[in-house]
Amino acid sequence: MRCVRRRRWRSGADMAILQVEGLSKIFGHGETAVTALRNVSFSVECGELMALLGPSGSGKSTLLLCISLILEPTTGRIVMNEQTVYDNAWMGVDERRFRRENIGFIFQGHNLIPFLSARDNIAVALEINGVSGRAARQRAGELLDFLELGHRAKALPANLSGGEQQRVAIGRALANSPPLIFADEPTASLDTGRGTKVMELLKRIARERQTAVIAVTHDVRMIEGFDTVWHMEDGQMVKE
Amino acid sequence: MDLAIKDVQRHVGKFVATILGVGLLMAIVLIMNGIFQGNTSDGVWLIDNTATDLWVVEYRRGGPFNEQSRIPEDAWKSVAATPGVAQASPFIIYAVQREAAGRGQQFTIIGYDVFGGLGGPGPLVAGRSINWAHYETVVDMKLGLKLGDSIQLGVHDYSVVGLTKGAVDSGGNPLLYLSLPDAQEVLYQQDNRAHEATLAADRKRLEGAGYTPAQAAKLLPLLSGGSGTISAVLVRLAHGADARKVGRHIEDWLYFNVYTTQQERDLMLAGKLKKMTAILGLFRVLLVIVSLVIIALLIYVLTVEKIKTIATLKLMGAANWVIVRLILEQSVVLTLASFAFAWALVNLTHDRFPRTLVLLPNETLITFGVFFVGGMLASLVGIIHALRTPPSLALGG
Repeated sequence: MRCVRRRRWRSGADMAILQVEGLSKIFGHGETAVTALRNVSFSVECGELMALLGPSGSGKSTLLLCISLILEPTTGRIVMNEQTVYDNAWMGVDERRFRRENIGFIFQGHNLIPFLSARDNIAVALEINGVSGRAARQRAGELLDFLELGHRAKALPANLSGGEQQRVAIGRALANSPPLIFADEPTASLDTGRGTKVMELLKRIARERQTAVIAVTHDVRMIEGFDTVWHMEDGQMVKE
Repeated sequence: MDLAIKDVQRHVGKFVATILGVGLLMAIVLIMNGIFQGNTSDGVWLIDNTATDLWVVEYRRGGPFNEQSRIPEDAWKSVAATPGVAQASPFIIYAVQREAAGRGQQFTIIGYDVFGGLGGPGPLVAGRSINWAHYETVVDMKLGLKLGDSIQLGVHDYSVVGLTKGAVDSGGNPLLYLSLPDAQEVLYQQDNRAHEATLAADRKRLEGAGYTPAQAAKLLPLLSGGSGTISAVLVRLAHGADARKVGRHIEDWLYFNVYTTQQERDLMLAGKLKKMTAILGLFRVLLVIVSLVIIALLIYVLTVEKIKTIATLKLMGAANWVIVRLILEQSVVLTLASFAFAWALVNLTHDRFPRTLVLLPNETLITFGVFFVGGMLASLVGIIHALRTPPSLALGG
């Protein structure tokens, strides 16, 4: 269930790690019905860095929840890593298992577990996926080295800077080598310098690991770093 | 990775403070258990530890513990002559508030026939029993006196020759044993001014009735208040004697009330101790309920504090058992550690309590069971809340 990494990223539908077709989401019924997503279609390929822009209430979060298998769409089709997970109905996928094997999450507020060290925050994602304690800690250590945070392995989140916390969060998202990473405002809480470093890191991850990254962002400072930029407005997606 | 333990390690101070707080609450429940049992234990201690088969008391009275009983001292001789009675002894009991060991204390004086009579102290922890007819006493250690100390009661000092441990009246106050004449003297003796006043009043009454001063002076000693009464006669039955028959004989022929030890015990439990037992029992139940509610709230708060972490774990794909283990393990740690602290605290300090604490192992075990099950049920509320938490909560700022 991994993205086929031997393929270098170039645009092409046959390499799509995520395909969304005609996705709609309507909250409520009748006169009070609110359409959050209107016939959204797009695809993301291995190693692609995709930005999703849009004002509040445009449907970005709803889309992210739907393709994370948290919120059930109303209609449409979602194919992830060559597996149809939704086709006008859930396709019987174990959503938690699917998420931990296929999707890594990066949050605006980092969401590190406050009582775990930097290394344990990464290791916990591995252990949740069935990796044994020692192997998980070793892999977490390697990821921290990759993120140039090896010297901060034992530090608690409260003792890390915002940028360091976000890098640990990225390490956690990468822990199970998912083919897809969803990032919710990954640079919003960082200054320009740190935000740029995080973007460079995401780009490096996308390129070196062939991991597709979908980032919901308001941060126009970072737009140039993305391969594709989509705008969302009133539940519809427009490619820039 | 044990997330629950990691959380505890990270917040040691907070967890220790919580354990101390919950432990103190549990300690109060254990103390209440001890007071509840101690109340009953103290209440019947004297009855259970007086080697007698029958209690002969004033007619139509529930004495000598639930109400006052006064019978002539000589009555014990009549009782002793009753068929089926092996031994009969005079016994007097009354509560006093006097200075002892440098402070005002309430205690109960027991007077008995120190030369082989019934009703004396049980096994002594130090010293000897009373050998002399006067001015010797055996006291309970709770009174704070030591061997060789003396205590002033009325106009005389009494030397402490023996010590008991745990000898208390129904109110948990220590017992002080005296010879019968000494106990009667302490009870009835008036100080000189009060005595003079009584004599003057008696003289006036006699002169008012037409007696000359000389005649009145001769009659006055006959009118003086009798110190020859006792509270009860203690009876030991002859081998094979039927307690009911002997008791009925004494009631019919001597006009006294007779209770067996079991009846006296029942009287105490249904009388003096009943209301206090009910109140303590009610407090005990309320305390357990309040404690369980507080523990439930604490566990719930511990869960709510971690709700974003739980949502993040769920979003990352953590199985439900990871979440359940996190909450349940902390609940178990909190309950076990708190109860261990409470148990240790109560066992280390129970001797210093002013009331007797009787800690029954099975009751302690049941209390632990109630708290453990309560803690688990309380954590269920937290678990339900955690399992209902949507993973989407982890998204957003």
